[in-house]
Amino acid sequence: MTIEVKGVSKSFNGKKVLDSFDLNIEEEHSYIITGASGCGKTTLLRLVLGLDKPDEGTVKLLGDYKYPYINAGVVFQEDRLCEDFDAVTNVTMVSRKIYKENAIRELKCLLPEEALYKPVRELSGGQKRRVAIVRACAIPSDVLIMDEPFTGLDETARQTAIDYIRDKQGSGPLVITSHDVTGLGFGRIINVERR
Amino acid sequence: MKSKSFITKMLVPVAAWLVIWQLVAMAVHNHVLLAGPIDTLNALVRLSKEQEFWSSVAGTTLNILLGFLIGTVLGCGLAMLGYFKEIVGDFLKPLVLAMKSVPVASFVILLLIWFGNRNIAVVICALVVFPVLYLNTYEGLCGTDVKMLEMAQIYRIPAFSKIRYIFLPQLHPFLRGALKLAIGMAFKSGIAAEVIGQPLHTIGNGLYQAKIFLETGELFAWTIVVVIISFICEKILMAAVDCIRR
Repeated sequence: MTIEVKGVSKSFNGKKVLDSFDLNIEEEHSYIITGASGCGKTTLLRLVLGLDKPDEGTVKLLGDYKYPYINAGVVFQEDRLCEDFDAVTNVTMVSRKIYKENAIRELKCLLPEEALYKPVRELSGGQKRRVAIVRACAIPSDVLIMDEPFTGLDETARQTAIDYIRDKQGSGPLVITSHDVTGLGFGRIINVERR
Repeated sequence: MKSKSFITKMLVPVAAWLVIWQLVAMAVHNHVLLAGPIDTLNALVRLSKEQEFWSSVAGTTLNILLGFLIGTVLGCGLAMLGYFKEIVGDFLKPLVLAMKSVPVASFVILLLIWFGNRNIAVVICALVVFPVLYLNTYEGLCGTDVKMLEMAQIYRIPAFSKIRYIFLPQLHPFLRGALKLAIGMAFKSGIAAEVIGQPLHTIGNGLYQAKIFLETGELFAWTIVVVIISFICEKILMAAVDCIRR
């Protein structure tokens, strides 16, 4: 599967955020989208996910892809977790294919056990981020898309999270946006310039 | 600590108000104008020995709860339909706003003309409860975090999980408030409907008889029964709503 982003432009309130942007997201490749705040990184991911429509250009799924939409595991810029429920529930709720035992095993890779059964609202920012990462990786998907997934993580936790994501990537493409590219040398760095 | 708090926060104020009530009744010194708590208790004991009392309490309570249930199901169900189908929401809006403002007495008189007094409390309670539940559910749904809905869309979260994990936590405070308000309104309006409509073997009929015979003690006794039933129903309902959330 290839996601073809071709000549994409997007403006908000008359301000152009992306201008004729091109990118081919191919299988088994990793893409690190970087750039200053407000340069359009999140906008690009929203266009790829189909949450926004481009003003110009196209986002297409090429190849023998069986769905009309992208089957993606996503870490959003905000955690977008159900705050009243625990980490395990937040992971299992997104798909019937994720069993509780699997969710617990995956969460234990990034979180201390005592954090698994507390309502998410009681977790720290970094712990919530890790729950969001596990949720994205646990769901069977064709592409992993992560918007600033390492926000709030210290150096060690960040590296553990990077290793975890790499391990779960499989053959699908991985797209990460990040201000800081430390430890992300495995991917193709794409710098989005501010308009 | 909890029992101490219950004593200071609940029993002491209730006892104080009972003393004030008794003192005022003694000052007025007229059982028709104001029956005191002792007269009321005597009337309650006298009433409770009659079969009619218990059948009236059971009949009215069941009718009001049935009306409350119908109004709640219709209110929540149509609010969901109105939220997901904008055309339904637009269509229902004027009706709901009108229902919210129409006096209960107008509904009661119309229903008496159309259908007589049979099951009047059921219909009135449903009509009173419906707009409260509709408006609160609709408002709660409209306040659902768009970002969470986007997350659900991207992950294609099954409908049941979406309701359980996204909509219900969002709706919970709205539903809790609405149900608490609606159960009290259901008892007030249901009994008012019975007083106007005069169906036999009901609390409303008992209140009416008390008025006819100037039995103020009985009037207060029936009122206390209504307050107690309403209070118990509210507590059970709130516990059920909190239980659903967990």
